[in-house]
Amino acid sequence: MVRGKRWQAAAVIFLAAGLVLAIGLGGRSGDTVLEFGMFAGSNWGVANADSCIIIDKAIEKYERAHPGVRIHYYSGIPKDDYPEWLARKILGGETPDVFMVLSNDLDKMVSLGVLADLGPWMDKDQDFSKSAFFQTALAAGVRDHQQYALPYETVPTLMFVNKTLLNQAGFGVPDNDWDWDRLMDICKKITKDTDGDGRVDRFGTYNYGWMEAAYSNGGKLFDEDGTKCYIHSEQVAQAVRYVNGLSDLNQGQKVTQEDFDGGHVAFMPLSFAEYRTYKSYPYKIKKYSTFQWDCITLPAGPQGDNISEVDSLLIGISSHSRKKQLAWEFLKMLTYDEEIQMEIFRYSQGASVLRSVTGSEQMEEIVRRDMEASDRVIDHMLLSTVIEKGRAVPRFSRYGEALALAESEVLKIYEGEKNVDSSLKIARRTIDHFLAR
Amino acid sequence: MDLILTGGSSVSCRKGFGDRGMRAKRIEISLVNYLMLILNWVMVVAVTGFIAVTTENIRESYIARDFIAKVEAIPWRPETILAVCVLLMFGLTLSFVMRDIIHFRDSRLQVGSLVFDLIVSIGIVYLLNFNYNGILLWVFANVIFYTKKSSGQFLFMLLAVLSFVGTDYGLASVNAPLYDIQDYISYYDAGQQSYIFVFYNVLTSLNMVLFIIFCVFVIQEQRGTIEEVNELYGKLSAANEELQQANVQLQKYADMKEKMGQTKERNRLAREIHDTLGHTLTGISAGIDACIATIDIAPDKTKSQLEVISGVTREGIQEIRRSVSQLRPDALERLSLEYAIRKMVEDTNTLTRTKVSFACQIQPLRFCEDEENAIYRVVQESLTNAMRHGRATQVEIRMWREEGDIRLSIQDNGVGCKEIQPGFGTEHIRERIALLNGTVVFDGSHGFLVDVTIPIRWGDSV
Repeated sequence: MVRGKRWQAAAVIFLAAGLVLAIGLGGRSGDTVLEFGMFAGSNWGVANADSCIIIDKAIEKYERAHPGVRIHYYSGIPKDDYPEWLARKILGGETPDVFMVLSNDLDKMVSLGVLADLGPWMDKDQDFSKSAFFQTALAAGVRDHQQYALPYETVPTLMFVNKTLLNQAGFGVPDNDWDWDRLMDICKKITKDTDGDGRVDRFGTYNYGWMEAAYSNGGKLFDEDGTKCYIHSEQVAQAVRYVNGLSDLNQGQKVTQEDFDGGHVAFMPLSFAEYRTYKSYPYKIKKYSTFQWDCITLPAGPQGDNISEVDSLLIGISSHSRKKQLAWEFLKMLTYDEEIQMEIFRYSQGASVLRSVTGSEQMEEIVRRDMEASDRVIDHMLLSTVIEKGRAVPRFSRYGEALALAESEVLKIYEGEKNVDSSLKIARRTIDHFLAR
Repeated sequence: MDLILTGGSSVSCRKGFGDRGMRAKRIEISLVNYLMLILNWVMVVAVTGFIAVTTENIRESYIARDFIAKVEAIPWRPETILAVCVLLMFGLTLSFVMRDIIHFRDSRLQVGSLVFDLIVSIGIVYLLNFNYNGILLWVFANVIFYTKKSSGQFLFMLLAVLSFVGTDYGLASVNAPLYDIQDYISYYDAGQQSYIFVFYNVLTSLNMVLFIIFCVFVIQEQRGTIEEVNELYGKLSAANEELQQANVQLQKYADMKEKMGQTKERNRLAREIHDTLGHTLTGISAGIDACIATIDIAPDKTKSQLEVISGVTREGIQEIRRSVSQLRPDALERLSLEYAIRKMVEDTNTLTRTKVSFACQIQPLRFCEDEENAIYRVVQESLTNAMRHGRATQVEIRMWREEGDIRLSIQDNGVGCKEIQPGFGTEHIRERIALLNGTVVFDGSHGFLVDVTIPIRWGDSV
């Protein structure tokens, strides 16, 4: 009797399990759908109406190569709303199979276990080679020595040059291998009270801070894990002193955006994306139209090179994705396919993360189309070098706070006119203490 | 693992001892067990449900990004976790009900169900990311209840304790980032938070309290069982003592019986001596007294009288010999069979006119004690018969081996008899030989012949 009941119970459980399985399998019919999480517009703070075109092309190409697979994405999520949108998806367990990762979010995504480690896929894929990427761009997707995301688009920082102003002062546009001394020379001569009201009204630089100077002097602020601060290093100290010297030229006058827009400032750091935006229609007639301008590399410090911070937009795969192979292939299509990567120069404002694409003459041709004949187009070799040698800034979880702390410490030095070296050592202790918490 | 089953089956086998208090305790234990199960149902559903609902609230109020920035980890698909936990709880309940109502007769099934519970509950605790591990206390309680008095109990308890300690949130979060229910609670405003904390803490503590009550009940029940065992043990040792006393008395009785046997034997000896020696010696003494009186008057008559006395004396000697040899064949005890027979033959030759010859072809003449006894007795009985009844003057004893048998023949030249009458002598001989699986033939046509055949026993040396 008891035995019979037990068998009955076992049979019921077995049937129930079978039913659940059957419903589960039956529910999956039709095309395989791969979810893609992306935002519309530019990652670089510039307007971009065409951002979806590259993605659409990539999807079209991917779906042609993978019949039966569909890529689905939500269009029209602005960049500002994207982190919230993604967070809601992650919380609800609906993380897209493939999604864009803002560089500031990478650390959180990795620590939450949302991103899949790409190492095994990269190793397994015979057609894939890491060396095709700019190492700086690739490094942006690395956490704890593991690749969690691949770069899709990258942007170095350049130096905006007001050609008209320089010409008036008797200077030409500096060469791309210029250095701090040359910048200082030009700034000394340019900084002037032109209208004789006793206040300086023509300036050398705007927004050129000690950090830009430090990067081009071979310095760095933090290690990759965000556990150590190098603000006291000689390269950074030199940069702090140098920028202090530059601002001393202004005799206490604060340079504003209006000064710059009005054409009263010679130099300003500008991202490659902004450069391309404001050089092309319609923005070239809206902004900076009262003077001629161009972009060159940042001046090299005595211990550094003409390099700058390189920011990258990353794309990763959800660790919970059940279609990782398909997801990997789509990720490869977006980041590794030369044809798609070339589209970045056509429809976006950043640069391709692939050496072969950014280093090609075809890229120069595409960029030239938007420009006037008199403009100097950034040479493909130079752009490649700037990206390759550039500084990928480690975006650990408290990077923003640590950076703000560093900036306030340096500001204190400037305002209190303290000894740079000893103050930086104190600042380093303060920041290290913060990082260790 | 040999587990002693408790529950219904054991209640039935202990019917004789089961008292009402024990049964009441058992019902109390079962009740606490059910209460713990219900409480854990509430807790598991509450924790997973709370996280699922709060996640939805967070998403709807568009603060997901801020929330994610604050937390160390998040659960993957809270609704799925809720569903899977409910499914696992159903599994636990099923296993518990099967154990409690059906009672697995096979102890392996019982152990299996406990192991199943442990694995499933660890699964639940893992899914809850160690935010609630009270379910392990319930498993722990079941382990204590179902494996008591067994060798596997300690292993099980160790496993349960280790899993309980190992699943403590603080300890577990050292190794891996885990989602914390407090992060979810902090989504609500302070007033709501305090209610949630009270609910969570009260239920967690209640589970702990139920577990302690359960343990106390089990200990009480086990103590009851121990008392029962002690009582039985007392009874057993009392019975054992009585048995020992009876044994001592029996020993005494046996000793007494032996002494009585000895007395009886002595009495018999005394009677025998009195009957034979006393009678003969009295006769001889009277005869000699008469001879003393008549020796001078009638020497011839005295001479014939002395001859009679001599005859009586000889008869008396023979009587004594007979009775002594009937009591114990001393010769046989001290000497070999051959020597004993030869001594008997020699004695007969010197004391009587009967001439006896003994021929033996078996060397050495060695048998088992019972065989030697039998052969000796047969020879003695036959000789006595030959002289007493056959009045034989010559007796021929022969022993030889024939195939697998020992042959013994005693032939005399006496009167013999036409028909063998079953008398004492022949009957004794027949009985003795039959005990050795042998046969005996009597022939009274030419004198008297006793012909014995005894089979040689395997493994005996002859």
